[in-house]
Amino acid sequence: MNRTKTDAYRRRLKDLLDPDFMARLDSLDVLSHKILQGKLQGERRSKRRGQSVEFADHRPYVAGDDLRFVDWNIYGRLEQLFLKLFLEEQDLTVHILIDVSASMSLGEPAKELFIKKLAAALGYVSLVNNNRLTISSFSDGVKGQLKNMRGRSYIGAMAEFLLTSGCEGTSHFDSSCRQLVAGRIGSGVMIVLSDFFFKEGVDSGLRRLISRQYDLYVIQVLSPEELAPELTGDLKLVDIEDADSAEITISGALLKYYKRNITAYCNELKEFCAHRGAAYVLANSADSVESLTLNYLRRIRLLR
Amino acid sequence: MEWLTPLTALYAAAATLPVLLLLYFLKLKRREQIISSTLLWKRAVQDLQVNAPFQKIRRNILLLLQLLMLLAILLALAGPILSLTTGPSRRFVLLIDRSASMSANDIESTRLDAAKKQASTFVESLRGKAFFSLRDESDQVMIIAFDDHAKVMCNFTSDKHQLHSTIEAITAGDGGSALAEAIVVAQAFAQSPGTEGNNRSAETPAQLILFSDGRIRDVDQIVVGSGELIFNCIGKSPQNIAITAMQARRSYEDPDEISVFATIANYDTEETTCDVQLSINDNVQAIRAVTIPPQETSNTAVTAQPGKVSIDFSLSGVDAGVLEVRQLQPDSLACDDAAWAILSPPRKLTVLLVTAGNIVLESALKACPLAGLELCSPDEFDSMDFGTISVEQPYDVIVLDNHIPTQLPKCRYLVFGHPPKGIDVSAPEQLENQVIVDWRPRHPVLKYVNLMNLFAAKCFKMTLPRDSETLAEFGQSPALALVRRKGSIFLLAGFDILQTNWPFEPGFILFCYNATAFLGMQAGQDQETNLRVGQPIIVEGLAAETVAEVSGPGFSGNEIKANAAGPIRFPGIDKVGVYGLKVPDQPLRLFAVNLLDLQESNIEPMREIILSGQAVQAQDNPISRSNLPLWPFLVGIALVLALLEWLIYNSKVRI
Repeated sequence: MNRTKTDAYRRRLKDLLDPDFMARLDSLDVLSHKILQGKLQGERRSKRRGQSVEFADHRPYVAGDDLRFVDWNIYGRLEQLFLKLFLEEQDLTVHILIDVSASMSLGEPAKELFIKKLAAALGYVSLVNNNRLTISSFSDGVKGQLKNMRGRSYIGAMAEFLLTSGCEGTSHFDSSCRQLVAGRIGSGVMIVLSDFFFKEGVDSGLRRLISRQYDLYVIQVLSPEELAPELTGDLKLVDIEDADSAEITISGALLKYYKRNITAYCNELKEFCAHRGAAYVLANSADSVESLTLNYLRRIRLLR
Repeated sequence: MEWLTPLTALYAAAATLPVLLLLYFLKLKRREQIISSTLLWKRAVQDLQVNAPFQKIRRNILLLLQLLMLLAILLALAGPILSLTTGPSRRFVLLIDRSASMSANDIESTRLDAAKKQASTFVESLRGKAFFSLRDESDQVMIIAFDDHAKVMCNFTSDKHQLHSTIEAITAGDGGSALAEAIVVAQAFAQSPGTEGNNRSAETPAQLILFSDGRIRDVDQIVVGSGELIFNCIGKSPQNIAITAMQARRSYEDPDEISVFATIANYDTEETTCDVQLSINDNVQAIRAVTIPPQETSNTAVTAQPGKVSIDFSLSGVDAGVLEVRQLQPDSLACDDAAWAILSPPRKLTVLLVTAGNIVLESALKACPLAGLELCSPDEFDSMDFGTISVEQPYDVIVLDNHIPTQLPKCRYLVFGHPPKGIDVSAPEQLENQVIVDWRPRHPVLKYVNLMNLFAAKCFKMTLPRDSETLAEFGQSPALALVRRKGSIFLLAGFDILQTNWPFEPGFILFCYNATAFLGMQAGQDQETNLRVGQPIIVEGLAAETVAEVSGPGFSGNEIKANAAGPIRFPGIDKVGVYGLKVPDQPLRLFAVNLLDLQESNIEPMREIILSGQAVQAQDNPISRSNLPLWPFLVGIALVLALLEWLIYNSKVRI
C-alpha cells in the first residue's frame, strides 16, 4: 500500500522533474547570503555559537555556564576561566511562494507548468540538502501551504502539493503576503514565483516580504505572448481574473507602446528589488527550467 | 458649372450619408481574446493616446475618407457639367430630316441615326437651368422633324430629358424632303415664347440648325436670313440603285395578259449590273440581270442625272395580286429597291338597259364583253326598289335610253337623250343639225373613237355644272359630258341615238365598249390603289361608322373608323410597302405605296445648299460637345480615395 503510494508520487514527480534533471540537481544546494539562524542543528554555519566541532571564540566565564565548555588549558596558563565558544551549524529555511491565480494558467507554454517545475526543482534541491522547506501557494490569499518539510521523504508530498494546486481566482498579492508573513517563522530564503501582474501593485506586498531574516528572490515568469504579443485586428481583451475588458485595435504603434510598457514594468520591478537587496529574475515560460536552474540561478548564487 | 440631376443626388445623399455614419458609429464587433491581465494593455492604449495628439483625427481618418468618397460619388450622381460656353441664353430650332434618303446606311447605322446622335450631342452641350444660380442662362431648343411635311416634335424648352426623348422618338420615313414648310413653322414658332414662358422671343432670333443630307426638293422656296441656318451635312456615299418608275397594266385585247414596266436608276459613277426580280404575291416569276449605265456626270452636281434603264415583263394567266419589282443588289438605301403594284382581277360587267325598245343600243351592248345585259322598260325601271339597287349594286352600269327616271339610285349611268333631273344639268331647248366640233380623243371613254363624222339631227342643248367634264362638243352644246353627283357618275350623251348617224359609225361600238368599261372601272376601282408616300388611303362608299383594320409594313391591326359621311381616311403612311385595309364582310383592299422619286433616291450628300440665293456650306466637323461632364473625374477621385482608405487601413493594422 505504502509502496504504491510512493510510486504514484514518483510518477507525479516525473511530471515535474525528469530523473536526469533530478540527478543534476542533487549536487546543488540552496545558498543564503545571510548567515541565518535555524531551528535545528543543520549543515550550515549559524551565527549562533553552539555545539559543533568548529571553534569560534573565547569568552570569560560567568556563573551558570556549562563547565564542560571551560577551556581548561587557558585556566592552567592564566588561572582564569574562559569559556570555549563553537560555531553551531544550523538548517536553512527555504520558503517558496507560488502564484496560483487564474492568470498563471495562460501562456503557451503555460506559466503554471513552468512555475511548478521551477518550484519543484528548487524544492527538490532544498529537501535533498536537508533544508527546511515551506511551499505556499497564493492567489487572493494563501491558498495552500506545506510547512517544514525536511529530507528526501517529502519530495513526493511536495510534488503532490504542486500538482494538485489549480490555478484560479484573482490575485491579491498584498493580502496574501500579509497572511504569509504573519505565519512565518525562522529565517532563510524566500523565493516568489509569479507573473507579478497585480493591479494593486507589487510594491506593498514585496515590502512585507523583505526582512532581515530572509533572502528574497523574485522570479517573474512571463509567457512569450506577454513579452511579444502576436495579435491582429480589432480585439476585445478580457482579463481572465476580473473579467475586465479593454477594446483595442491592434496597430503598430500600440504594439510598440505595449512592448515599451512591459519592458518598463519589468525594469521597475527589477529596480525595486535591487534597491531592497532582493534578487530579481525574469523568466520566459518558453525557456527550459533546466537551463534556468542549472545556469542562471547558480550564476546569481541562489544555488550552488 | 451646372447640375443635370441634382435631385437624384440629394435623394441618394439623404439615403446613404446617415447609413454610413450609422455604420461607422455602430460599435465594431470585436473578437474576444482572453489575456492574463489587461493592466499593461490599458497602459499601452493610454500611452498611445497620450503620445499621439492627433489620435482622434487619425482614428477618424477612415471615416473622413469614406465621407469624401461618398461625397464624390454623390456629386458625380448629380451630373455636374462644366460649361465652356458663356454669354446670354440662346434659342435653337433643330430641323431633322427624316426623308427616305436619310434611311441610307452609308454611315453608321443610318443617316437619321447619325443626325439624331449629333442632335443629342448638341442638346447635351446646351446650358441647362442652373439650380444654384439666380441668372437663367439656359438655352432653349425646339425640334422639328420633316419629310414632305414638317412635324413639330417639341416646342421650345430647356428640359434636356424631354429633348433627348423627343429626338429618340423621331422615326425614319420614306417621304421626300421639303424643308420650306419646316422653316416656315420654325420661324413662326420662334416668335412665340417657349414652354417656359419667359418672353425672350423678340430679343434673340432663333438659330436654325439643319441636320440633313442636303437633298432638299424645295430649296428655291426657302427664305432664311444670312447666318440664320447652320447646316450639318450627313452622309457620304452616293451609291444607290433605285426603282424610279413602275407600272402594271392589263392588255386591252386580252385581260389575262399583264405588262409590267419599271425604270431602274443608278446613282453611282460606275456602271452596275443588278438582278431585277418580279414576283406576284411573293412568288418569284422572273429574275433578269440588267446593266445600268453610270450617272451622267455634268458640270453642276445639282443636275446630275442618274443612269437609267427600263425593263418590262410580260405575264399571262394572272388573276390578281400584289406585283413586286425588286432590284437585288444591296445598296445604301433600301426603301427604293422595290416597287409594288396592285393587280385587280379583270372584271366583267353587268349592265341594265332601260329602253322602250332600241335595237341599235341593244345590239351594240350585246357586242361588248359583258357578264350580263338585262333589259327593262322605263315603267319596269321606275317600279324597281331603288334602295336595293343603291346598296346591293346589282348592276355595274345602267344605260338610260330616252328615259327620265323619277329617282336615281346610286349607280353609274350612261344616258342617251334628255339628261336626268336632279343632277344640275338642264336641257331647256333642242338644237338641230349639229356636228361635232371637238372631242377629247385621249379620254378613256373616247379612246379609238372618231367622232369626226357624227351628225345629230336633233339634240338637247345641255347646260352643265362647272365641275362636269365635257368630252365632246357640238357647235352650240356639249355632246358628251361626265357629271358626278350624289355618289353616281353620269355619262351624258345629249341626243337620241336614233336621231344621229352614229349607229352607222364603227366608233359607236367602241364608244359603248369604252363607256361601259370606264363606268365599270369607276365602280370597281373607286379608290386609287397605287399611292405615293404621304398620300392618305381613302376608301369611299362605306356605311357610316364602319370600323376597318389597316395593316402595313411594320404594323398590323390598326383600327380606323369611317366618319359619319362614309369615307375612311388613313393618313399615316410614311413607309413604302403594301398596305391592306380590311372592312368587315368585304374583300381585303390592297394599296401599294411606292417612293418612285428620282430626286429622293439620289442620296449623294450635298455639302452646299443654296437658300434664297446664298450658299449655305455644311459644317466641316460634326457637332461636338461644348461642355464638359465632370462625373468621370469625380468617380476617379472616389476611386483614389478608396485606394487611399485601403492603404491607411492596412498601415494601421500592420504590425
